[in-house]
Amino acid sequence: MSLNANSARAASRALAGAGEPDQGRQAPQLKKRGLFQAKGATQESPRVNALLTVILSIGAVVMAAPLVWMVSTSLKTKDAVYALPPEWIPDPFVWDTYRRVFDDTYVLSGIKNSLIVAVSVTVVGTVFSSLAAFALAKLRLPGKNAIFLMLLSGMMVPFPTLMIPQFVMFSRIGWVDTLLPLIVPVILGNVIMIFFLRQYLHNVPDSLVEAAKIDGASYLKIFWTMIMPLIRPAVAAQFILWFMFVWNDYLAPIIYLNSPEKQTLQVVIANMNVQYATQRDYPLIMAASVISVIPILVVFLIFQRQIIESIALTGSKT
Amino acid sequence: MRRMKVAAAAATMVGALTLAACSAGDSNGNGSDEPDTSGGDAPNELTFMFRGGEYDKLAYETAIASFEEETGAEVTMIITDADQYATKLQAAIAGNKVPDVFYIEPAKMMGYVYAGVLADLTEYVEQDVIDNIWDFGVDAYRFNTETGERGNSSDPYYGLPKDVGPFGFGYNTVLFEKLGLEAPSADEPLTFDEFVALCQELTQDDELDYQTWGTGLNVTWNSQAFIWGAGADWISEDQKTVTVDTPEFAEALQWFADLGLVEGVTPSAEQAQTLDTYQRWMAGEIGFFPVAPWDIATYNAVAEENPDTFGYDVIPYPVANEGDDWATWLGSLGIAVSENSANKELAAQLAVYLSTDLDAQKILAENKVQIPNLIDYATGEWIETDAPAAGWPANTQAFLDIAQEKGRPLPGVWTYTPEWYDNFWIGIENVVDNGSQTATDFLAAKQTEMQQLLDQSWINADQAKVTG
Amino acid sequence: MATTAPPAEQTGWTKQDIKASRKANRKLHRKEHAWAAAFMAPPVIGWVAFLLFPMGFSIYASLTNWNGLGNMTFVGLDNYTRLIQDPYFWKALWNTVFYMIGIPIGLAISLALALALSRKIRGRTFFRTVYYIPVISSLAAIAILWQWAYNGDFGLVNQALDLIGIDGPNWLQDPTWSKPALIIMAVWKGLGYSTLLYLAAVQAVPRSLYEAASLDGASGWKRFTKITWPMVQPVTFFLVVTNIIAGSMIFTEINIMTPTGGPSWSTASLVWYVWNQAFRNLQMGYATAMALVLGILVLIVTAIQFRINRANEFSID
Repeated sequence: MSLNANSARAASRALAGAGEPDQGRQAPQLKKRGLFQAKGATQESPRVNALLTVILSIGAVVMAAPLVWMVSTSLKTKDAVYALPPEWIPDPFVWDTYRRVFDDTYVLSGIKNSLIVAVSVTVVGTVFSSLAAFALAKLRLPGKNAIFLMLLSGMMVPFPTLMIPQFVMFSRIGWVDTLLPLIVPVILGNVIMIFFLRQYLHNVPDSLVEAAKIDGASYLKIFWTMIMPLIRPAVAAQFILWFMFVWNDYLAPIIYLNSPEKQTLQVVIANMNVQYATQRDYPLIMAASVISVIPILVVFLIFQRQIIESIALTGSKT
Repeated sequence: MRRMKVAAAAATMVGALTLAACSAGDSNGNGSDEPDTSGGDAPNELTFMFRGGEYDKLAYETAIASFEEETGAEVTMIITDADQYATKLQAAIAGNKVPDVFYIEPAKMMGYVYAGVLADLTEYVEQDVIDNIWDFGVDAYRFNTETGERGNSSDPYYGLPKDVGPFGFGYNTVLFEKLGLEAPSADEPLTFDEFVALCQELTQDDELDYQTWGTGLNVTWNSQAFIWGAGADWISEDQKTVTVDTPEFAEALQWFADLGLVEGVTPSAEQAQTLDTYQRWMAGEIGFFPVAPWDIATYNAVAEENPDTFGYDVIPYPVANEGDDWATWLGSLGIAVSENSANKELAAQLAVYLSTDLDAQKILAENKVQIPNLIDYATGEWIETDAPAAGWPANTQAFLDIAQEKGRPLPGVWTYTPEWYDNFWIGIENVVDNGSQTATDFLAAKQTEMQQLLDQSWINADQAKVTG
Repeated sequence: MATTAPPAEQTGWTKQDIKASRKANRKLHRKEHAWAAAFMAPPVIGWVAFLLFPMGFSIYASLTNWNGLGNMTFVGLDNYTRLIQDPYFWKALWNTVFYMIGIPIGLAISLALALALSRKIRGRTFFRTVYYIPVISSLAAIAILWQWAYNGDFGLVNQALDLIGIDGPNWLQDPTWSKPALIIMAVWKGLGYSTLLYLAAVQAVPRSLYEAASLDGASGWKRFTKITWPMVQPVTFFLVVTNIIAGSMIFTEINIMTPTGGPSWSTASLVWYVWNQAFRNLQMGYATAMALVLGILVLIVTAIQFRINRANEFSID
């Protein structure tokens, strides 16, 4: 990218809003009229919208089924769980199960521990990941793609093989039965988030960054004031996913955490799983799972507005 | 405005970092009273890694209480999830953080002993305590590191039983009555022919207003008793040769498959997939079905709720010919002591308590979790008064017979790993469910594959023996 | 980004000017390099500190006959020659690759959903939330639900098929249909996730582009293929790469729905096989070798994808 008048002009044009047709692409051809023919400006056909609403509603039923099932099962008696055809409305309603869940004194501490891990990892980790993505996508560094591939390769080794040596490592430094093995390795950056933000940043013109550099802005300033707002939807989307992943992780916590007061919520739920008898206490597990889903739903509802809303720089985007 | 945003962002980051630091601080600050899974450090501290239901927990808390009182020791219970228990234990071993006392499965003994994970308990436990535990309960944990043999009563043992689980057989008393059939004998086993005849009588869809079948057996868990009852077995006594291709085995397996395919006395594969035979049994639609101690509580509840369709009692498994001995499998979970424990002797004592404390055993038996481990109690006061009072079935003696002599371990328990045995079930549905393969053909091919795996397993065992 | 100095003919710069310009650029870039390195440092530090040792350990373990408990004895490449001859390794690998058929299907549906949800439809927010529910639901709940859904007689799937006159198979017990059953479940579970990401990308496409195109008379389909599809291509690339990586590790679903590997071992994935060998059969060394082979295969596939993507990339200047 040349630092010359051309690019500066391009930058200001991008900011000003007229979309340039891509250099290497054909201009769109005239096409026959069809169902999706636009009329003048891109209006949406209300007929199409109505049809879509119907289809989406049918799909929504299928999608909502597991949550409805979870709640419904949590209110059933143990035997009713196996009834065939499956009952959707419990009969009789058993509210006692929820009381039993909270009676287990470690549910609340489990929530606390899960929150500590999830919040610290996602909040701090998001900053580190965004910075790294910014560097990968917009800054110059020899060999950065190789570094990125190296980071990505860490995800390609199946976890059973990494689990044991990691445990050995952490036990040597005395981190077993603490929350540290669940926090420190992941807080330094999430490759998936870095990857996604890097992709997302492709659609942010390089010229913006260059123009800001010409203006003498420091890289941190460019990052905070220009880049972060632009990638907000992407960050929000990945944040939700990361939070959910950390919140639901049970394998690592089970291996590292021993004292009940240290255990995260998923471990507490797993311990409720009475397995010696041939029948599992599904209502209890489902009740605990429903309780465990609520924070994720909350995070999702908060952040999904970030994803959906139009991007701040209205000048170039609408 | 922007400054406020920056300040807010900075505050959140600081807050998050503090949270992370706090959790680290917590563990460091209270280091001395935190239970460390590497076993207790002080001469009287022990850790016990445990998994199980509420009654197990209750029973062991009782045992631990009396243990602590007697010895002045301090025991910390670490509770884990059953599914991941093996993984967690293996991680702990690799990371040198083994608890003092923990559960062990008989099938895994060899590897653990060779690796020096389990302590030899022979010197720590008195003989008369051992004599009062079911033979199988201790033999399951015996291992001779020189000869590589398992289960011989003269060899050292590396664990004590948490329980001995007889996998018994039962019938639906109510159904028999309704169809006017004579109840099977409580101690004489039926022959295969008698069994099939009864099953045919039990399979009807016109006499009652619901359909019933003679039986509905799951091949993975229920075929053993019948194969053994026909005098066949999966493996030779020296555990070196796979013997599934013998004519007796083929005949027995085919007979088992024919129960559904030919005689039609079991629900079809589709019907079994629609509603599990276990569910059907509890709905009163099945005549014969396995009964084990861990089922008792559930079955009792069902019988109470539906007395006009369901009632049960325990009987011996059928045998091929009159006069043969009947057999079924015995499960067990063991309590072991870490070889690297700082307090081995004390830990061994704890293991003894967990395995044999009378009050704990009473709690477990009363709550229908398991039969008592103690021979004198089980064959005396328990079978006479406590068991009937607690709701155990009338013929609970059958369970004791299994524990005493009729029970055998599942194949694969005496070998290094059960891999060769697990392989047997791959493709079994072609014999039992859809009949696309005869037992003979299936077994001929299987023998080769299983033998290969067994040979490899012995090689691995020998390697482990050498390297430790 | 390419070289920076413009050709001499264009600007009339001398050779010395170019050299000086390049040197100045490098100096300028040094500062940028430093900052970029600093920004990328945390994940790299994390990788070196927490992945390097385990990966090294694993590589060594794969060259031993370690049973996971005792000492390791070096056996060279024995494990690798063994896995080449192990029919179960190949079957598990085949199963794992088969499962990836779900990826393009899932992405196509998600993109369609994202496009639909970016329109002004009534109850948009509601739909977005509802479609996301499978993603956040517990795997245990989903597994039970789908086990019943796949039930031969009463299951929802076969009842729905019945409505259109198809006699559904005995899904989880049938070797031919057990994998498709799991694929359908995985696609369904992942829809919300991909849709969310596509939604973020679709929203970022400048409206002005669509307007310009329709002014030129482009049909909806043309607008899709020429504008939308290329603009979300970075997300597509991301989803394909991450789904392949995640798909290669598929384990928990199989462990819950078909704990013994399915009828005739038809559902066993490679990681499931690795897990069994490691923790049930005391074959940690062998299991590690298989895991590393899988990792290398995935690395090769990913590297190829990056190559292809680089050739197709364009960036907005």
